[in-house]
Amino acid sequence: MNTLGSTSLPASLGRFSRGLWGLWLWKKPVFLFPRMGMRAQVTGKTDAHNLLPLNERDLEEQFVKGHGPGGQATNKTSNCVVLKHIPSGIVVKCHQTRSVDQNRKLAREILQGKVDLFYRGEDSHLHKVRKEAEKKKRERKKKAKETLEKKRLLKELMLTEPSPKAPL
Amino acid sequence: MWLRFMKPWGLRPRGEKWKGRLQSLLALQPLRLASGCRPPSVTARALVNHWAQLFEERGVPEARESSEYIVAHVLGAKTFQSLSASQRCAPITDLQQEQIGELCTRRLQRMPVQYVIGEWDFQGLTLKMTPPVFIPRPETEELVNLVLHEQSQRCQEFRRKRTLAHQSHSWPLILDVCCGSGAIALSLLSKLTQSRVVAVDKGEEAVQLTRENAQRLHLEDRIQIVRHDITSGVNREQLLPWGPVDFVVSNPPYIFHCDMAQLAPEILSYEDTDSLDGGENGMSVIREILSQAPMLLKDSGSIFLEVDPRHPELVEKWLQSHPDLGLSLLATHVDFCGKPRFLHIHKSRDPGSRRTQNV
Repeated sequence: MNTLGSTSLPASLGRFSRGLWGLWLWKKPVFLFPRMGMRAQVTGKTDAHNLLPLNERDLEEQFVKGHGPGGQATNKTSNCVVLKHIPSGIVVKCHQTRSVDQNRKLAREILQGKVDLFYRGEDSHLHKVRKEAEKKKRERKKKAKETLEKKRLLKELMLTEPSPKAPL
Repeated sequence: MWLRFMKPWGLRPRGEKWKGRLQSLLALQPLRLASGCRPPSVTARALVNHWAQLFEERGVPEARESSEYIVAHVLGAKTFQSLSASQRCAPITDLQQEQIGELCTRRLQRMPVQYVIGEWDFQGLTLKMTPPVFIPRPETEELVNLVLHEQSQRCQEFRRKRTLAHQSHSWPLILDVCCGSGAIALSLLSKLTQSRVVAVDKGEEAVQLTRENAQRLHLEDRIQIVRHDITSGVNREQLLPWGPVDFVVSNPPYIFHCDMAQLAPEILSYEDTDSLDGGENGMSVIREILSQAPMLLKDSGSIFLEVDPRHPELVEKWLQSHPDLGLSLLATHVDFCGKPRFLHIHKSRDPGSRRTQNV
């Protein structure tokens, strides 16, 4: 049974446990953490909507524990990623793909949307998208109701009219 | 429900190589389900629970994950989580149930999930998987990211200096040693659209699988796949069809020979042990790659290796004791579990021109 656990870091690197994907130059040998893309910030996929950027230092990542020796010596398929935004406490779990790397990227995108919603409320992109969707749904319902009403009226009209005589 | 008898072809004596067993693996004998296996209802969720419980009873590791991947695969999805709630509750057809049953029976024989479903994802690509070719591990995705980052740094540097040399740096040449299924080579090709890769492996099945994956992904025009055993010596003609390379990247067999016997049945019985066993101290193939690298690399080139966590120290000492190679360890990177896993090695430069460690 796999349980979630924090990534195991050497004790001396404990102070770098937050923001795993920043770059830390320590002492020789230089142990560098995996980096996500080339930037320390996660910018929104939909940059046109200007989502609040996420700082890697504010993120805490968890992978499934019990990975054993890792690397070639293990063949684990549990590629679920759990990502937490420490300042807001929002947690996202992503297992959309079978690739750890992809799940990490997706988790960041999803988390960014949620954090944006959290801090910007009505001004956030997610909020606007939801409002738009609700509006469209209301309009569709209204249209469907109107169409139904028209059909009902037409039916009533046909019932009250005398039936057409058969041609001679 | 179908009745078949089970033939235990999956598990074989340890130490015996897999080669030549592909035919018997694929000619699956009729199988019999254990009694009491009829699932109560036929939704995806119910099937996952049923098979997860059976896997757990039979001691199959990652019982729930295995069950979820197999059911999702038959339903046309990559993961169970990516299925919608309605898909998970929709009724499963008899044919799908039979397919799931067949695949799960292979998993019961400890076949790795990746071989059971015949594919796996790596860096956003879906690659075909067939035994005994080595299955790419999730850690190795980070090796690809390191190469991509280094390439990006170089492009920026040369753009800043505005040298003409920047032109050739836009078209990196990469040598992938021990390419296996082609995971590293093909993900680099797909991300670096101007790059070219020479992918090398000593195994015929690996070469064929890399070729097939390259064709599936329409990347065959920028890759050359060579069957060659690098421990048999340098072969510049075969390895350098386009001249010296910018990057030598490799996930070579690096397991210490004494640790091989402790590997899980999934690995020992189905994957090619030659793609795992690195000999004494796990260094035999690593040493070969480093010995040949100076002849294969451009002066500005870099070597990126995935290794065992005990190797950074061993490699650094070994490079220091072989100054004639002119290589030095620039950096060690950890994997997502915090273990030292990747080495960045380059040709030693004089202190005057040493680049700052600002990657």
